[in-house]
Amino acid sequence: MKHYEVEILDAKTREKLCFLDKVEPQATIAEIKNLFTKTHPQWYPARQSLRLDPKGKSLKDEDVLQKLPVGTTATLFFRDLGAQISWVTVFLTEYAGPLFIYLLFYFRVPFIYGHKYDFTSSRHTVVHLACICHSSHYVKRLLETLFVHRFSHGTMPLRNIFKNCTYYWGFAAWMAYYINHPLYTPPTYGAQQVKLALTIFVICQLGNFSIHMALRDLRPAGSKTRKIPYPTKNPFTWLFLLVSCPNYTYEVGSWIGFAIMTQCVPVALFSLVGFTQMTIWAKGKHRSYLKEFRDYPPLRMPIIPFLL
Amino acid sequence: MAAVAATAATKGNGGGSGRAGAGEGGGTRKRKGPGPVATAYLVIYNVVMTAGWLVIAVGLVRAYLAKGSYHSLYYSIEKPLKFFQTGALLEILHCAIGIVPSSVVLTSFQVMSRVFLIWAVTHSVKEVQSEDSVLLFVIAWTITEIIRYSFYTFSLLNHLPYIIKWARYTLFIVLYPMGVTGELLTIYAALPFVRQAGLYSISLPNKYNFSFDYYTFLILVMISYIPLFPQLYFHMIHQRRKILSRTEEHKKFD
Repeated sequence: MKHYEVEILDAKTREKLCFLDKVEPQATIAEIKNLFTKTHPQWYPARQSLRLDPKGKSLKDEDVLQKLPVGTTATLFFRDLGAQISWVTVFLTEYAGPLFIYLLFYFRVPFIYGHKYDFTSSRHTVVHLACICHSSHYVKRLLETLFVHRFSHGTMPLRNIFKNCTYYWGFAAWMAYYINHPLYTPPTYGAQQVKLALTIFVICQLGNFSIHMALRDLRPAGSKTRKIPYPTKNPFTWLFLLVSCPNYTYEVGSWIGFAIMTQCVPVALFSLVGFTQMTIWAKGKHRSYLKEFRDYPPLRMPIIPFLL
Repeated sequence: MAAVAATAATKGNGGGSGRAGAGEGGGTRKRKGPGPVATAYLVIYNVVMTAGWLVIAVGLVRAYLAKGSYHSLYYSIEKPLKFFQTGALLEILHCAIGIVPSSVVLTSFQVMSRVFLIWAVTHSVKEVQSEDSVLLFVIAWTITEIIRYSFYTFSLLNHLPYIIKWARYTLFIVLYPMGVTGELLTIYAALPFVRQAGLYSISLPNKYNFSFDYYTFLILVMISYIPLFPQLYFHMIHQRRKILSRTEEHKKFD
């Protein structure tokens, strides 16, 4: 069997970093990354980007050496992606924060509101409901991170955790401050408004969860396959007929529900910012689907049926 | 900040292939540049803006000569200042539709900070309009903008006199600190009046379950200058070194 030789050069300086001989033709990029780590332990596989061209796209871990357009001596270019952190770690941290922080405000822990309010409880039902909704939302997210989601990428750049946590924790504190404030004003239309909003919230949470389960079932454990998602027997998934990312649609819906329920401007702003970000993601995902699948259903919009 | 930011990061307003501008760290992009219609529009836009700020400059000089002092000159140029500075909002649109190769976010930040100072501070707090600090930033902005807009105009026409390029990348050394000082002093002067009038502030309880203290907000704005100004300033210094030394090597500026 003919063995390959692989030389790895720095993409910026073209410096020769590593030379591997006797590499199996069916070796994958993942295996080459592992070999590279042996000579440069500070560059663990997750932070390696290997490419055929210094300015080209990164090769995938599953790519096989033999199948690449290289001769028996392959030249790969290396770029350091920077310190990486696992998606799971980021998600758990960014979701645990709001769960905990909101409760600090709900229980009116000292030094937030005036001392005469320490550990007092709101007399408004909607405030207790809001706490249940917010808390269960983040518990749901934590459980999904641990048991439902199947991530395409193992890691993301380390700086993302600071950015993401600032966003989630910051908004959680801001919202929680007003909802649990002793001077909180319940919704203008009273119980009617709360009931309607709560219904929207619950339906959208169930919807969002249904979509997460449907997406999970598209992909076997440990794989990174990508398929077109379709509606299943679960009526919540029928939204796939109209949008590419119904999970985001339902998520926006949940927060709109929560905003109506609490009638609180910071919640509305949080929903708006989240909607903006999710729209960007949905459009990107939609574009990827269109590029990858010729037979992608034409009726579907990225996030809002018929509109966006 | 508004003074610094406006020059610093915009590649803006059609600086030819974008090499002209003090680019944000976006790296060189091989852009085709705006089409003929867009170029014509941008030339007109930049000429109009250059003229506008010249009007403001002339207005300041005439008022100074007429009054015999440099105090309270704001009133003489209040209208054109508001008009032309607010007009710069179009630059956000230019980036958004792609006829100018700058970042929408960065441009928005720059223009909004200027517009904020004009409307939310100077216009809204009448008592600061007679402050000398206002003149300080108005002069800094005026000189900066005249140079900046003529720079873009010439770049679009592919005929950039070296003196304009030099001015754009040199005068900021004095104009930025001057503008920033004027801006900070003006905001600081506005504080007591904001507190007194409860300007733009809302307190609990209210049906929106929201509170906002404009006084605190202004203090936070002032504090934000501390990290932001040095970054923008040193970015411009870096750009200066890069761009002015290139010209000395007789690189053709296309």
